Amino acid sequence: MPKRTDIHSILIIGSGPIVIGQACEFDYSGTQACKVLKEEGFRVILINSNPATIMTDPELADATYVEPITPAFVEKIIEKERPDVILPTMGGQTALNTAVALAESGVLNKYGVELIGAKLEAIKCAEDRELFQEAMAEMGLETARGAFVHSLDEALRVADDIGFPIIIRPSFTLGGTGGGTAYNMEEFRSKVEHGLASSPISQVLIEESVLGWKEYELEVMRDLKDNVVIICSIENFDPMGVHTGDSITVAPAQTLTDKEYQTMRDAAKKIIRRIGVETGGSNIQFAVNPSNGRMIVIEMNPRVSRSSALASKATGFPIAKIAAKLAVGYTLDEIPNDITKETPASFEPTIDYCVVKIPRWDFEKFKGVDDTLGVQMKSVGEAMAIGRTFKEAFQKALRSLEQGRFGLGADGKDIIDVRTLPEEKKPEWKKKVLDRMKMPKPDNVFYLRYAFQLGSTIEEVHHITKIDPWFLYNIKQIVDLEEELYAYRA
Amino acid sequence: MKASEKTAPLRRITKEVFLKAKQYGFSDRQLAHIWNTSEKVVRDLRRKFGVIPVYKTVDTCAAEFEAHTPYHYSTYDQENESIRSDRKKVIILGGGPNRIGQGIEFDYCCVHGVYALEEEGVETIMINCNPETVSTDYDTTDKLYFEPLTLEDVLNICEHEQPMGVIVSFGGQTPLKIAKALEENGVCILGTSPEGIDLAEDRERFGALLRKLQIPHPKYGTAYSVSNAVLVAEEIGYPVLVRPSYVLGGRAMEICYNSAAVREYMKKAVDVSPEHPVLIDRFLEDAFEFDVDAVSDGKDVLIGGVMEHIEEAGIHSGDSSCVIPPYMISEKNLEEIKAYTVKLAKALNVVGLLNVQYAMKDGVVYVLEVNPRASRTVPFVSKAIGLPLAKIAAKVMVGRTLKDLGVKDFDFRKVKHISVKEAVFPFSKFPRVPVFLGPEMRSTGEVMGISSAFGGAIAKAQMGAGNTLPVEGRIFISVNNSDKNEITLNIVRDFLKLGFSIVATEGTARFLREHGIPSDVVFKVNEGRPNVVDLIKNGQIQLVINTPLGEESRYDEFAIGWAAIENKVSFITTLSAAATAVKGIERQKQDGFTVKSLQEYHNEIEA
Repeated sequence: MPKRTDIHSILIIGSGPIVIGQACEFDYSGTQACKVLKEEGFRVILINSNPATIMTDPELADATYVEPITPAFVEKIIEKERPDVILPTMGGQTALNTAVALAESGVLNKYGVELIGAKLEAIKCAEDRELFQEAMAEMGLETARGAFVHSLDEALRVADDIGFPIIIRPSFTLGGTGGGTAYNMEEFRSKVEHGLASSPISQVLIEESVLGWKEYELEVMRDLKDNVVIICSIENFDPMGVHTGDSITVAPAQTLTDKEYQTMRDAAKKIIRRIGVETGGSNIQFAVNPSNGRMIVIEMNPRVSRSSALASKATGFPIAKIAAKLAVGYTLDEIPNDITKETPASFEPTIDYCVVKIPRWDFEKFKGVDDTLGVQMKSVGEAMAIGRTFKEAFQKALRSLEQGRFGLGADGKDIIDVRTLPEEKKPEWKKKVLDRMKMPKPDNVFYLRYAFQLGSTIEEVHHITKIDPWFLYNIKQIVDLEEELYAYRA
Repeated sequence: MKASEKTAPLRRITKEVFLKAKQYGFSDRQLAHIWNTSEKVVRDLRRKFGVIPVYKTVDTCAAEFEAHTPYHYSTYDQENESIRSDRKKVIILGGGPNRIGQGIEFDYCCVHGVYALEEEGVETIMINCNPETVSTDYDTTDKLYFEPLTLEDVLNICEHEQPMGVIVSFGGQTPLKIAKALEENGVCILGTSPEGIDLAEDRERFGALLRKLQIPHPKYGTAYSVSNAVLVAEEIGYPVLVRPSYVLGGRAMEICYNSAAVREYMKKAVDVSPEHPVLIDRFLEDAFEFDVDAVSDGKDVLIGGVMEHIEEAGIHSGDSSCVIPPYMISEKNLEEIKAYTVKLAKALNVVGLLNVQYAMKDGVVYVLEVNPRASRTVPFVSKAIGLPLAKIAAKVMVGRTLKDLGVKDFDFRKVKHISVKEAVFPFSKFPRVPVFLGPEMRSTGEVMGISSAFGGAIAKAQMGAGNTLPVEGRIFISVNNSDKNEITLNIVRDFLKLGFSIVATEGTARFLREHGIPSDVVFKVNEGRPNVVDLIKNGQIQLVINTPLGEESRYDEFAIGWAAIENKVSFITTLSAAATAVKGIERQKQDGFTVKSLQEYHNEIEA
C-alpha cells in the first residue's frame, strides 16, 4: 500500500517538559517523525511546550507551536491550522492523553480530524487495564491476578484474596507515580490512599506480586497489511519489582530458551493484532516465573516509548521513523532499511553484539528521599554501551554513567576494600553485603562485586537478589579476572 | 623507588593478559588502579602491545548485508569496520546521560553544532552514550560512535579518526572535564581554548581580570579548610553563598547567614581539600538576576538576549523562571550588561558561545559568573529571538565570522513578543522531600510560554508546566517577616481586585489588617483544627503563597507544600513569582488566548 494521498497536513503532539518517566527520548522520536513526514511532502504542524527540544526548531516543521499541551490549546491549533490528521504516538503519555481527550470531547469529529498511528479504540484497549486484561484472557494469555478499586474499602477486600506482597498501581499516571509495593497492611493502606490521590480518576490497580520474576520487553511493529515484525527483545537484569526505567536492561534477551522466546514472540504478535495497533510500534512487557516458566503479560504501550528509543539505538532500526511512515500508509515491505539500502523494513534486525543500558539517579539532590528502587520510576537519565559480550558492554556502560566510576569497581572508589580485610572479618562482611542487597538500590551492582570477592556463591547471590544466574556468572567472571590481574601489580 | 623499578612487575604482563582484560571491559583507569600505576603508563603499555580497539558497525543485519550508515562501537577484536575518510572532520562530544542540571538543552546544542558543520562542508563525528537523544541517531551525523565519554575512549577515537579538532563546549560539563587532558594528548580543541575556560573558572585569576576590566563583582574568597572557611566568610561579610568548586547544577550549594551555618555546611556537606576548595561569595540579597547568552568570533560579539530571572537571587538559575526581554531594568543598566559581556568575551578570547550571569542591586550591575560554553538557556533564547545561536557558534568555531554570517548587527531589542521559561520539578515522585527552591538545582525540565504581553506569557508557561493558575476562589498567604512589605500588600490588593478572597496565618493577617486589608485567619498546622492543610485538602484554597520562614516553621511549610502538591493546588514560594502570577491570572480571566507559531513570531522580528 503506498502513501495515503488524502492527507496533506499532519499535527504532531510532543511530550512537553522533561519529567521523570518522560524524557528526551520523545524529542528523538518526534524529531524523526517531523523530518520524515516533511520529506514525504506533508505540511507538518507541531505542538510542544518544551523549548529545549530539537523538534521545536523552526526548521523541522512548517508551523511550530510552543504552546501548552492541553486539549484547549490543541483545539485552538486545530481550528487555525485545520490539519487532516493527528499523530499522537510520538509524544509519550502526554500526547496520547491529549489526543484521547480531544477525541472523546468530539473536537476531532467537529473539525474532521483523524487519529493516525493508533486509533482511539486501540489506545483505550491498551491503556485501560480492565479492557486489556479481558482482551488477554480472550486469547488465553495470562495477566497478573488483581482488580481495580476506587476506594480503600474495596482495596481491602481485594487484598484478602491476593495475599502479600501486593503491588499498587494508580491508573493514568506517568511513570507509575504514586505506586508501590506493600508487604503489610499498614503499608497497604497508606499506599492505596496515596495511589488514589495521585490517579486523576481515583482508580488503583491492586495486583498479585510477581516480585522476583524475570522481566522482558518486545518492541513490535505492524502495518496495514498486517505484517508484524519484532524489532528487538530486551531483558531486565533486575527482576520484576523494579520499574523498567530504573532497571539495568540488556538487548537482546540473554537467558530465554528458544522455546520461551518463540512463545513470547507469538504472544506479542497476537497482542498487537488484538489490541488493534495497525500502523506503528508498540512495546509489550512480559514476566516469566523462573521456577516454572509461567509467562504473563504485564502491559502494552501503543506508541513509541523509552524502550523503543533504546531498541532503535541497540539495533540501528529507526522505530519512530518507520512508525511515522506506517502511519501515513506505507507498509513494512515498501520501506527500505536505510542502513543496508537493500533490505526492506520488514526484515527483523539481527544483533551480533550485546547492549547494556544502566539508569542514572540524582538522589543526592533530594534530601531525605528513599533511594530504594520500586515500581515507581526515579531515575533521571541513562547510559547505553555496546560490546561483543555482556561483560564488555556492562563495564563500558558503568563508566559511561559518569558518576566517577570506571567500571565494576577496582577504580579506587570502592567503599569496601575486600582485599585488605583480615580473613577473620570476611564472614561478617559477607553477611553485611548480602543483607544490603536485599533491597534494590542504585549501587547494588557494586555490592555484587563485593559479595563475590567475599566468597559468596552464585546461588547465594541469586537467592537474595533474584538476578538470573547467567548474569551473576558473568559478573563473577569479571571479579575473578580482576583478582588474576593483581598478580601484575607494581 | 625509581620509576623504572616501580613499573618492573608490569613487565611480566603479556599481550594476552591485556587483551583479555580489555575484552572483559576493564578500562585503563581500572587497570592503573589494579596495577598501582597511572592511566598513562597503562595506555602507553597497551599501545606498545598493539592492544587497540577496533570499531564494529551496528548494521541491523549481523553483517549479512553491506551497511551504509556508519554507526560504530569499539571492541577488542579483529578487523576495523570504521573506515577513516580523507575529508576535513570535526568530532563533537555529547553530554552523556541526562541528569539534573545537564539535560536535553546540551543535546540540542550538540545537534545544532552538527547541522552547522554539515552546512560548512565538514564531516561530523558524534561521540555520545545516551540512547534517548537525537545526537545518537545515526541519521544526525556523518558518523556516530556510541561510546563512553571518558578520556580513554575519546582519545582512541581521535587517534583513529584524526579530526581537525574536537568541540567540547556544547555537551555541558561532561566534555569540559576531559578537555585539558585531550589537549595535553595533542588533540586540537576548537573554539575557546581550555586555557580560556580555565581562566573563567579560576577565581583568583578571574577576579584579577574583572578588576583589570573594572567590572564590579560580589566579594569572594576560596577556602581550603574548615577553619579557614569561617575566616574567609567573615572577611567577605554575611550573607555568603558557599559551594564546592567546579560543579554544574549548583550541587551542594547553600546560603549562610552566620558563622555557625558556615561551620555546619563545611562539616556535613563537603570534603574540602587543597584540590577541592570551597568557594565563598558575598550573597546579594534581594538582587535581581540576569543571564546573557552570546556568541563571539574573537572580534565581534553577538548578544542573543538578556533574560531577567523572575525569582530573586539565591534560587538556582536553572530553577528560576525567566523572561525575555527583561522587564525591570533601566536602559543604563542594560547598556552596562551589554558592554561587560563584550569586554569579557574579548578578554577571555571566546570563540563560540558565552553565558554571563549578572546581579543588579541598588542600580549597580555585578558579574556573578562567566561560562565560555553552551548554557542551559541557549535553546530558549534561540527560540525567543529566532536566531540559532548554537549553530552560529559552531560555524564561528571552524573559522567563520559573525560579519560574514550576517548576524553581527543583530539587536536583541528588536524582539517585542514576551517569552517566559518556567521550570518543572519532580517533587511528586519523591514524597516528603523539601519543596522550597534554593541555590541547588532540582528541576528536570522546562516549558516556554510566548505571548504579546507579559501576563499571557506567564499564564501559558504555567499551563504548560501543569500548574494552571486559578481564576477565582480563595488564596492562602503566609509570608516571612522580611516579606511583610509594600510588595506583599500590592499583591494582596491585586488579588482582591481580581475577585479572590484571602485567608492568612495569624501574623500575616495582622499585618494585612494593619494596612486595612481584610482576610480570614486560619490555623497553622500545629495550632489547631481545621488548619490550612484541611482547607487545602477540602478544595477550599485555590492558590498557596508561602514564603519560607526558615528552621522554626519548617514542619508547617513541609505539610502545606505537600498538601498543595498532592491536591494539585498552585504553590508559590517567592513574592516575585506571586507578583507575576497576578499578571497571569489577570490575563487568564479574559481568556481568548490565541496561538501563534514560532515561524510567525520570528517573521515579525525581521519585519
